[in-house]
Amino acid sequence: MDYTALKVAIGCIAVRLAVSSLFPSLQQQLDQSVEFSTPVTSFRSLQEGIYLLRNNIQVYNHGVVHHPPILVFFLCLFNSDTLVSLIYALIDGLIAYQLTEVTKVFKNLKVKSWLPGVLYAVNPLVLLSCISRSSVIFTNFAISSSLYCILVDGNVILSSVMITVSGYLSLYPILLLIPLLGMLKNWRQRMFSVVTSILSLSILLLFSYNILGSKSWSFLTQVYGSIINFEKVFPNLGLWWYFFIEMFDTFIPFFKAVFNIFIAAFITPFAVRYHKQPFYAFILCIGWIALTKPYPSLGDAGFFFSFLPFFTPLFGYLRYPIISALLFLHAIVLAPIFYHLWVVLGSGNSNFFYAISLVYALAIASILVDLNWAMLRIEYDNGVPNIKLKVTQI
Amino acid sequence: MALLEKLHRRIVDMGLVPRIIASLPVVSMVCALFGFISIAILPMDGQYRRTYISENALMPSQAYSYFRESEWNILRGYRSQIEEMVNMTSMERNNIMGSWLQEFGTKTAIYENEQYGETLYGVMHAPRGDGTEAMVLAVPWFNSDDKFNVGGAALGVSLARFFSRWPVWSKNIIIVFSENPCAALRSWVEAYHTSLDLTGGSIEAAVVVDYSSAEDFFEYVEISYDGLNGELPNLDLVNVAISITEHEGMKVSLHGLPLDQLTINNYWSRLKVLCLGIRDWALAGVKNPHGNEAFSGWRIQSVTLKAHGNSGHDITTFGRIPEAMFRSINNLLEKFHQSFFFYLLLAPRQFVSISSYLPSAVALSVAFAISSLNAFINNTYASISIFSEYNLVALLVWFISLVISFVVSQVFLLLPSAGLLMAISMISCFLPLILSKKVHISEPLSYRLKNVAFLYFSLVLTSLLMINFAMALLIGTLAFPMTLVKTIIESSGEHEVSAKPYISIKTEPKEETELIENYEDIMPGKSQQRQELKNLLLLVLTNPFISITIFGSFFDDEFQGFDVINKLVSAWLDLKCWSWFVLCIGWLPCWLLVLASSFESKRVMLKSKEKQS
Repeated sequence: MDYTALKVAIGCIAVRLAVSSLFPSLQQQLDQSVEFSTPVTSFRSLQEGIYLLRNNIQVYNHGVVHHPPILVFFLCLFNSDTLVSLIYALIDGLIAYQLTEVTKVFKNLKVKSWLPGVLYAVNPLVLLSCISRSSVIFTNFAISSSLYCILVDGNVILSSVMITVSGYLSLYPILLLIPLLGMLKNWRQRMFSVVTSILSLSILLLFSYNILGSKSWSFLTQVYGSIINFEKVFPNLGLWWYFFIEMFDTFIPFFKAVFNIFIAAFITPFAVRYHKQPFYAFILCIGWIALTKPYPSLGDAGFFFSFLPFFTPLFGYLRYPIISALLFLHAIVLAPIFYHLWVVLGSGNSNFFYAISLVYALAIASILVDLNWAMLRIEYDNGVPNIKLKVTQI
Repeated sequence: MALLEKLHRRIVDMGLVPRIIASLPVVSMVCALFGFISIAILPMDGQYRRTYISENALMPSQAYSYFRESEWNILRGYRSQIEEMVNMTSMERNNIMGSWLQEFGTKTAIYENEQYGETLYGVMHAPRGDGTEAMVLAVPWFNSDDKFNVGGAALGVSLARFFSRWPVWSKNIIIVFSENPCAALRSWVEAYHTSLDLTGGSIEAAVVVDYSSAEDFFEYVEISYDGLNGELPNLDLVNVAISITEHEGMKVSLHGLPLDQLTINNYWSRLKVLCLGIRDWALAGVKNPHGNEAFSGWRIQSVTLKAHGNSGHDITTFGRIPEAMFRSINNLLEKFHQSFFFYLLLAPRQFVSISSYLPSAVALSVAFAISSLNAFINNTYASISIFSEYNLVALLVWFISLVISFVVSQVFLLLPSAGLLMAISMISCFLPLILSKKVHISEPLSYRLKNVAFLYFSLVLTSLLMINFAMALLIGTLAFPMTLVKTIIESSGEHEVSAKPYISIKTEPKEETELIENYEDIMPGKSQQRQELKNLLLLVLTNPFISITIFGSFFDDEFQGFDVINKLVSAWLDLKCWSWFVLCIGWLPCWLLVLASSFESKRVMLKSKEKQS
């Protein structure tokens, strides 16, 4: 019996509990920061939802809560604050556990099986995101369980259900069903997976319709409508907010459609092009969604980076890893500073923060592009690394 | 893109890449040099600009100033009363002053702070405004040199009386009498925004008046504007103050320039003001605060006016500066936003904006990034996988040094003993020499430590760039010699015995590499010793505490001995000035890492299994 995964998970939970008990005020500070909290993932609005639910007030009539009903209901069950922080730590621990188990599946990967899990456990982006109690962690958990189910257990049903859950929680991850289909063995399984997803989605939605006691569909517009329509134009690290602040009203619907299509447009091509490396395609899609979604937070990027250790064979082919890393580092260091200059001191303006969010997007994009190149190169070499060979890009 | 591609290919074809990599240390030096040169050319003709009033509403000196001889007698009357207050308790002083202020309808209150003393303040409600905005006239009872601010207090009360008779005000006027211009005033400003009952709306601008002589006449005006934590007031406010002062015929001094240098305006004088400006900006709050620093952080633009000398202009002329400034600020419809928030003054009427001066600090940050890159790729260990244990250990050491630095910063806040701190810093510099026979690290680890150290420092500099340019430039310059510290490779000797444990720290099997020891002698003993001494010197010079003390005692008359360290600590405790933490958490971890990397190291050789077979 191998306890590596369990140890990693316990370590992960311990780190989170230690940090949240050592710095009790950190949660609120992080929840106020634009990097870790967005209108659709912040713990503040989740708490508001819980409060409304406890007092039998319609949760979705006030434009504050954008969390799906089952999540609000789930967290409503827990009264104490320590219990809630324990749940967040537990879920992160589970993700670390699943990552470690998934690593073991890749037998010829020359990375120690504990490495991805440990990196996840100490990754400050994920750690702080967990401390801030951003609801993005539930989505991440659903995605990683889906990967775990399909790769470790080969369980198509559970895997499809978990992808549906992640879509239910924050909409865009439903697109990951497409690369997931690529990971299945035959068309029968694929059909089966799609049917399971549709069924489980309808069950989830019907359940949501009933669960909060109000029997209303208003949660659909509040949870998903607000994401698709980008209803809360808040500054965040994404590409959307500045664009829609500057735009004339007439063009807004058109460009909202364009931005949404943009997210979906690259998923299928990735899945098709890398049908021989479906896991890689899946991770690429996670990165793509983290880059283009309307309300990204550092938790999304951190989750994407947790999968990079699986691609160590590609690292030799990366052309500008140092540039990407420096871009990303500078972006995450400067983002809070420029936000502070803009909002607190008033000596900067919104362009400062927007410039940094562009750098952030550039960093993730350059990582994605570089990974693409590396995969194509290793394909060209037929899997036998020949790094010295010079090939020219067209 | 095509052009870039072509350029890239051309560079590769010419075989420049390995050459550039080999000369990375030189590139780093050149970057730093570029930084200094780009600062040095700023005072040249054509590089700087003349200041101008950007916000049209301000219109400084457009209205006639009425604070003239007719007010002189009133002022003298108040002053002769105030002169007798020197030996009174602050309670008595404030009560008398409060009763005077109430005579002409000012609402007064006394803010009591157990630690920093009492502060009297009065609010005059605007006859024409909605009372949501305010201007502050601050008069510390004792000025930054701890002299009784007789003239300032007399000016304050007579100006308040003068203002109260005018119907033009559209913003509330708040007059503040604090015990001193630093902690007491700061605590009042903080209380104003958090707990005080009597308030007058959001403060748009503040003018601190410092006239410490009891004479009727003074010679010139010193204007200070540096705020805490790198904040500067909007250039418009500084311009208004300068243009009014010069309009009234007085000379303006910046950064403590003496009278005889005020008339000179050439390259060297501008360079001097520039350098003094950077020094004062970086050490704002650590140096004796003038008073305007107290207002930093709440979107308040503030300047201090200080009278120097005792002949020439009369005191009412000095009073006309706040008067005309208040008339200007009174015209504002929005908060100060038009003009620059990031600038350096070269002379009262000449400035450079951020786009001109920023490249120098960027270049310094890049120099550190290149040094980091150099430590990473410019040795035989560049091919080690990024998940190798060397990297993980280096990151771990970085984390540990961060924790140590944090502990150091907290401990010396509680027990500020500069001597002890200096002694510890000095001793730790000698550690690599003393322990050279006992403690060894592996060579790749030494490089990775430096890599992490310089990367971290580069990030610190980049993050300070915008928020506190002068600080970034100062610590970047002072810490730059750190990049010259070289890894000491142990010469052969008792090599075989002690090298064994280090085989356990090796790269992953994934790389199919294996570490075997290298028995050849790398450095002859003598040059190694010289390098060790050189490292020692560099480490001493770049220790944050030693370095800042040396800087303080050479370039600033205010600091003697280890004063700087104590002032840094008290600046945080009294004023919430971050400089102490910038040194402790920004600079110290990097220094500790470099210190760790300068321990004698053992060479390990990577040899791939393929080659062996």
